[in-house]
Amino acid sequence: MSEIYSVELIDVLKRFGNVVAVDHVNLKIRENEFFSLLGPSGCGKTTTLRIIAGLEEPDEGIVKLYGEDVTDVPTHKRNIGMVFQHLALFPHMNVFDNIAFGLKMRKTPKEEIKRKVKEALEIVKLEGLENRRVNQLSGGQQQRVALARALVIEPEVLLLDEPLGALDLKIRQHMMVELKNIQRRVKTTFIYVTHDQTEAMTMSDRIAIMKDGRIQQIGTPLEIYYRPSNTFVASFIGEAVNLIIGEIGENNVMNTSLGTVYCPEQSIKGKAAVMVRPEMLEIGENLSQVDNLFKGIVQAAIFKGSYIEYRVDVQGTIFIVHKHGIDGMEKFYTPGTLVEIGWKKNSSLTIPV
Amino acid sequence: MDTLLKYIRRNVKVKVTLLLAPPLIFLAIWFYAPFMIVGLYSFDMINIYREITFTPSLTHYSKVLSWTGAAGIFLRSLYFAGVTVALCLLIGYPVAYYISFKVKKYKDLFIILFIIPFWVSFLLRTYAMMSILDERSIFNTILVSIGLINSPIKIMYTDAAVILVMVYDYLVMMVLPLYANLEKLDKSLLEAASTLGADPVKTFLKVTLPLSMPGIMAGFLLVFIPSVGEFVIPELVGGPNNYMVGNIIYEIFMGARHWWTGSALSMLFIAFILSLVIVYVRRVGERGLAI
Repeated sequence: MSEIYSVELIDVLKRFGNVVAVDHVNLKIRENEFFSLLGPSGCGKTTTLRIIAGLEEPDEGIVKLYGEDVTDVPTHKRNIGMVFQHLALFPHMNVFDNIAFGLKMRKTPKEEIKRKVKEALEIVKLEGLENRRVNQLSGGQQQRVALARALVIEPEVLLLDEPLGALDLKIRQHMMVELKNIQRRVKTTFIYVTHDQTEAMTMSDRIAIMKDGRIQQIGTPLEIYYRPSNTFVASFIGEAVNLIIGEIGENNVMNTSLGTVYCPEQSIKGKAAVMVRPEMLEIGENLSQVDNLFKGIVQAAIFKGSYIEYRVDVQGTIFIVHKHGIDGMEKFYTPGTLVEIGWKKNSSLTIPV
Repeated sequence: MDTLLKYIRRNVKVKVTLLLAPPLIFLAIWFYAPFMIVGLYSFDMINIYREITFTPSLTHYSKVLSWTGAAGIFLRSLYFAGVTVALCLLIGYPVAYYISFKVKKYKDLFIILFIIPFWVSFLLRTYAMMSILDERSIFNTILVSIGLINSPIKIMYTDAAVILVMVYDYLVMMVLPLYANLEKLDKSLLEAASTLGADPVKTFLKVTLPLSMPGIMAGFLLVFIPSVGEFVIPELVGGPNNYMVGNIIYEIFMGARHWWTGSALSMLFIAFILSLVIVYVRRVGERGLAI
């Protein structure tokens, strides 16, 4: 008995001219999962989403919705909902007609349409705005209408293509929480495309990181942050990362241009990178209880509110250190100060390069 | 000099007036003034010595209105223009739709190919159509000689000829505004409709067509207004039974040389068309323009 996935892509490939936009992508998305496709622009994430929607035809591979091969099924016969990047609300219809559009296409009885539109408006918290024209709504409200329109048809899968991109920061942060709540409430698989890791991290159950049409890693936000499978994922995710490249020999000891670095137990052997997140680094004048210790000169100190970001020059290599929980000016190292930085070997990770 | 320039630069009203002056002067001399003269004639305010008198009367209007043939001519003009608009829309919409939606590269080339025939003078195009429609035209000769038809098709000097040539002459006025409108249409709206379960036909009827109303309206006006007042085409390819209002006005001015009646008929016809256009814009326009 194999598990049924809400969406399954098998070896999907899509070319635009000579460019391979989606390169042998394999995805298995579980039922009711909030799944994000995350990557820099041009990585193929939107094309992948459009292939699931049927708006693009793959050159190779199979698309399955709930176990059923839909590769050759046109969009309007797939039971999907989609929220577009620029929302694509119908400008000649009011809020009610926009949301009712999909139900009318399904020949739902009038009374039921009324009831369902009302419910959908409640879910997105836009009660009473049925008769507004869409251009009379704010960006955030339009966003909610687009979401309600896609949800009201009770799709098997909801596809979202960077829907928060056009909103300003405050509304965006608010909508992130809201989207996640809505997803929990309606119990539908959400597939969310974004280039913004905060959005992906905040909402997703699992994330697929894409680059150049290929999937780099699939995992939970924690896995992707702390256990990146390659240096691209390590440096793409998180505000910053420290990567030291070297050669790991016996006893998990790495030889680098900075000297010896002690790596966690059972590290890989050979050429590798050791990754330390900035918040895992300690900074001070007399550090103890660290496995790796280097002396450096503070090059820059940037106060960021809840933490200070230090850039420390260690023999020409810049380390980024995030110091949290500062309690007064005495511990603020000004540029030019000689400091020690260090980390415990178990706070780091070795990645093959 | 410098202070004057500075004054002009800083004063928006002066700037706007200066910018608008050339077209306004041009229109005043070549449009408003002649139009007012026609108006004065129609109210009998210019006598046979071409002197302005200030004793307006409606005699010429009542003469025109009491003429029983007028209604028929008005209706025929409307009929010709209506059929022309309908055919232009039926032919023009698919053309504009095809170029806008289906042509990926070289859209401009398609549009230019479509416009090129209209670089030729309107009169020349009409004469060219005459040589095609004529009973002794090369088409009729060929069709008869290969036995496809027994006797030459007679189109010249019929309603069909007038409408055919009008459609040919005015089609571009329908296609261009429609194309401009469809080009602006956000294609993701069509994708959105399909994700909501609309098949291509429904998507067209519920999304594309309503959103192209402004283009249809612009095309309608651009074709309807010149064709309802058309007089060259019925004069050249129509017979005496295919006369339109323009021909009658021409006859009264140039044949009967009765400028007063001609002016009154012109004014009445302008009022008639203007009220139709206003009603049309009100009913279809508001919805279209609101987008």
